[in-house]
Amino acid sequence: MTEVSIERLTKTFGGARAVDGISIRIADGEFISLLGPSGCGKTTTLKMIAGFEEASEGAIRFDGKDVVNVPAEKRDIGMVFQNYALFPHMTVVQNLAFGLEMRKIAKPEMLSRIAEVLDMVQLGGYSDRYPNQLSGGQQQRVALARALVIEPKILLLDEPLANLDAKLREEMRVFIRDLQRRVGITTVYVTHDQAEAMTMSDRVVVMFGGRIAQIGAPSDIYERPENLEVAQFVGQVNLVKGTILGGTITGAAGPGKSRVASVFGEVAVDSRTDHAPGAAVTLSLRPEAIELKTASQGGAQGKVTARYYSGSIIDYRIALDSGETLHVQTFPNIRIAEGDRVSVHAPADGFWLLGAAK
Amino acid sequence: MTATRRKGFGPLILIAPAAVLLGVFLVLPYLNIVVMSFRMPGQGTPYGPGFTTGNYTKFFADSFYLLQVANTLWIGLITTALCLVVGFPVAWQLARGNMRFRALAYGLVLSPLLVGIVIRSYGWTILLGNNGLINRTLTGMGLIDRPLPLMYNALGIVIALVHVFLPFMILPIMAAIQGVDPSLESAARSLGASRFTAFRRIVLPLCTPGIQAGCILVFVLSLSAYVTPSLIGGLRVKTMAVTVVDALIDTFQWPWGSALALMLSVTGALCVVIFARLTRMKWKVART
Repeated sequence: MTEVSIERLTKTFGGARAVDGISIRIADGEFISLLGPSGCGKTTTLKMIAGFEEASEGAIRFDGKDVVNVPAEKRDIGMVFQNYALFPHMTVVQNLAFGLEMRKIAKPEMLSRIAEVLDMVQLGGYSDRYPNQLSGGQQQRVALARALVIEPKILLLDEPLANLDAKLREEMRVFIRDLQRRVGITTVYVTHDQAEAMTMSDRVVVMFGGRIAQIGAPSDIYERPENLEVAQFVGQVNLVKGTILGGTITGAAGPGKSRVASVFGEVAVDSRTDHAPGAAVTLSLRPEAIELKTASQGGAQGKVTARYYSGSIIDYRIALDSGETLHVQTFPNIRIAEGDRVSVHAPADGFWLLGAAK
Repeated sequence: MTATRRKGFGPLILIAPAAVLLGVFLVLPYLNIVVMSFRMPGQGTPYGPGFTTGNYTKFFADSFYLLQVANTLWIGLITTALCLVVGFPVAWQLARGNMRFRALAYGLVLSPLLVGIVIRSYGWTILLGNNGLINRTLTGMGLIDRPLPLMYNALGIVIALVHVFLPFMILPIMAAIQGVDPSLESAARSLGASRFTAFRRIVLPLCTPGIQAGCILVFVLSLSAYVTPSLIGGLRVKTMAVTVVDALIDTFQWPWGSALALMLSVTGALCVVIFARLTRMKWKVART
């Protein structure tokens, strides 16, 4: 299998830097997602790994060997496209056979490999169908099978689930992830959907404006976002203004924390960055970390301005008496109605001290 | 019941105007030509009383006319092949090139059709003649001693026909290429196909319908072209269309001219059928 190393990779389009000197090391068998809004350079990065786009600067190494000057057809990659890109004039078997023919695999081996992979994507009985005789989900799986049957070094997926409906998308997330684990192939997955990136990946690379904002495990990205941009992109977040207090923290809280005064009182907050006492900072507070209680039970006081019921959770909008607005998510077992006055409690470990955006 | 009836008549009403036009101005005249081709030649009149197969026996007995049909088909074939070779790269650029290039190229491609056919053909005589621009320039530069024979031969006709029929080749092919998703080529290349293999195995089969349409259009138009061959071919090289018009208008032999016209149509149609057979797509995509 293959380790991929991207070093100071840059792509300029007429002076504009679409990808600006990014470096990522992808371990053998790792599932890594490039996550970011459209235009952040994630797809361009993927195309450079695939060889469809020439790198302006930097290196891409497969197992230590620089492939920047290797044409796409010689890189030995499997790629799944957003629109599947199945060959419409070929049956499922012919689609899968294409890559094997290019590798001059003998017919008997070709057929057994195709049968094996079709089985793996649960399309055993569909060999002789044409792509337009298949549903979106089936086409997706054929595309996946076509990329895997050549046993490539690396699997690249470009927003493969974007054209599926919500239910199928969730099924396919699990399906692709399980398949990837079973095959153990190094995988790079491009998406703008943070839930997709988090559920599937070993590590997520968050990109903005051609640069990497943060690389980390999904929990790292979600719970300890590098800055405001990342925090806002990977889920909903409340921003709470605060001021750094001086003095060291003792006891269980330990080092690596800062004391911050905010509307929720004085809290010891986790942080990756150092701030001088007196500095104005922004704390992130995830909606699901907040606890609501009926009025006058301590904490910050406020009023429910809106309530959205969605089955497994309820979303609340709370207007605090101090003027801030909070977004709160709770399980539906508490009955608080619109217009009710509430006490808002936020545990110290629900806060995270954001670094300044780069 | 009403619903099904409405469904049945709707399309009929929509195609009615075209059907009437074709019926009155194509099918009926054609039938008239078929009947005319079996009439007796007349003396001082377009045709005489009674019927005969003599016009056809005359045609098949005289190798001059068979040769002329072969000549006409050959010119049509060469014109079609050249249009395909010259037109395909242009169609590709129009379909896949950048926008600014496209607007300009589109205008250039259509430009031959914006000039009247007679004017355009005279234009070619100015360029191609023994005393024309091309020959004078070449002799002036000392590259040739004698003028190249560019006019009054098949070469001149082919040059002029390729020029005017190029748009009919380019436009259908361009439309077909536009219908082929560029990511299919990327997919083929990711699977290990070179650019050329990706083109041959994926793009080419998918734009075959456009190539077929373009080839048939150009071929049929070349066979039936009259003004260009008559002005550039002159008296030396005659295509069937020119001979047919001679027979009908100059010598006033309607039955003979009709028979000639029908032989041209039949051989042309035969060529188209054979071509369509040979290039038939081996895949049929069922629509469900």
